Amino acid sequence: MRLFRLTTATLLRRKSWVICAFAVAVLPFLLQQISSGTENPALLKPAIAQATWAMALLCAIFWGFFTAAKQGESNARSGLGEYFLTTGVSATRQLFEMWLSVFTFLAPLPLIAAAVCIFAASPALPDERSMWMATNLQYAMLYLVVMAPLIALAIAVASRLGIITGFLTSSALAIYGLYGVGYLQLLGNLESNVFLKWLWAYSPHYHFADPTERLRYKLGAIAWDKFPLLLAYFGGILLVYAALSRLIFRARSTA
Amino acid sequence: MKSPSPKLKLQAGLTIGYGQPLASTAEEILLEGGTHFLIARNGRGKTTLLRTLAKTLKQLGGAFEAEGKTQYLPEDLRFDPEITVEGIFKSLLSAARRQAALDLATAVELDVRKAYGKLSTGNRRKTHLIVAEYSVEEDSGNILLLDEPFSGLDAYAREAFEDIWRNSSDKVLRLVSCHPDYDSMGMPSAIMIHGKSIHHTVGTDQTWSELKHQLN
Repeated sequence: MRLFRLTTATLLRRKSWVICAFAVAVLPFLLQQISSGTENPALLKPAIAQATWAMALLCAIFWGFFTAAKQGESNARSGLGEYFLTTGVSATRQLFEMWLSVFTFLAPLPLIAAAVCIFAASPALPDERSMWMATNLQYAMLYLVVMAPLIALAIAVASRLGIITGFLTSSALAIYGLYGVGYLQLLGNLESNVFLKWLWAYSPHYHFADPTERLRYKLGAIAWDKFPLLLAYFGGILLVYAALSRLIFRARSTA
Repeated sequence: MKSPSPKLKLQAGLTIGYGQPLASTAEEILLEGGTHFLIARNGRGKTTLLRTLAKTLKQLGGAFEAEGKTQYLPEDLRFDPEITVEGIFKSLLSAARRQAALDLATAVELDVRKAYGKLSTGNRRKTHLIVAEYSVEEDSGNILLLDEPFSGLDAYAREAFEDIWRNSSDKVLRLVSCHPDYDSMGMPSAIMIHGKSIHHTVGTDQTWSELKHQLN
């Protein structure tokens, strides 16, 4: 796990992860001061919950994918990927070790977000509180399953096409899946347009993993009999992206 | 499979190149533990041969056999500019060998607390060489393929590394590509690429001064 240790040491040294920790653990409490919660105290807790998860998603998209892309490009172009190849660390293993390192920094974010929501924004009623806890834990799991393959994709694309392309590919997919798919449905009548219908069906529906609406309006947790289906759906996407990432990834940039 | 003594056997007809053949071995070349220099004029295929032997580039023809744990240190290798030399050693070297690596760093005046991006070219080379040298496995044969490890390195540091090379010559086979900057540099074993031919020349008194005139 030498590449994992090297990547982890590098990311620790860069310290930019502190911004993410601050954004998820502290910023929601500052942002509530500029929300309508200051006028209506009943909105304070939903405002904290919404801000917390929004920060966790933004950190994954802007910090996580950028960091992953930077590592992917750097490994391929700095000669490190080639060095590790010659020492017996296969390209698959290199992709895995870099992914694991970036994921190690990203994984605490949904856990922090869930903790903030549970300890600082939990509803007062006991029934609602247990539902709230379940909702947050469900979304922490979904966050991890959604972001994990996009990190691998950012590393892989950047190793071949550079940091900007790697970052944009994963970011665009995440933003499209979170918000674009919904707009696509609003664009027109999907039933009458075969292409749009096909595009919508095969799009990654990441909006299912975005908890903000559910938390803001206290819609309750996803039914436990349906939750495994959702996990299986994102697990399927994970497998497709993992395979795609391995096909795209290369450990060195020159022929 | 672990082998106590490293070996590199280039069969006759081993052809290297990127699409187009660059050079071929005219006869079988057998290298064993110790230091072997790889010399040629620019663009003749030194890096291509090293990459071929490191198996990151496929040969165009022929075959070779390598016995030992291989490491190829590319000439343009670089670490993240933010990480310190100490951080690199901690990540890449085993705890048992780290202290020896730090001692060598001190001996060659490499400041391990400095960020890699703030090091001079020579000090970056020292970092790479220390990583490679202390990554060799002590209980098996090793093959180190070093691409221009001396460029930017001061004479004192070079001698320090050459001492290490002499002391571990039974377990480590080093193939070192270089453009020596002084004529009297001894090259008892040298792989030469001249024209399109790869040859092995040996001689205890052989120096760069004699060999450089044979290169074309």
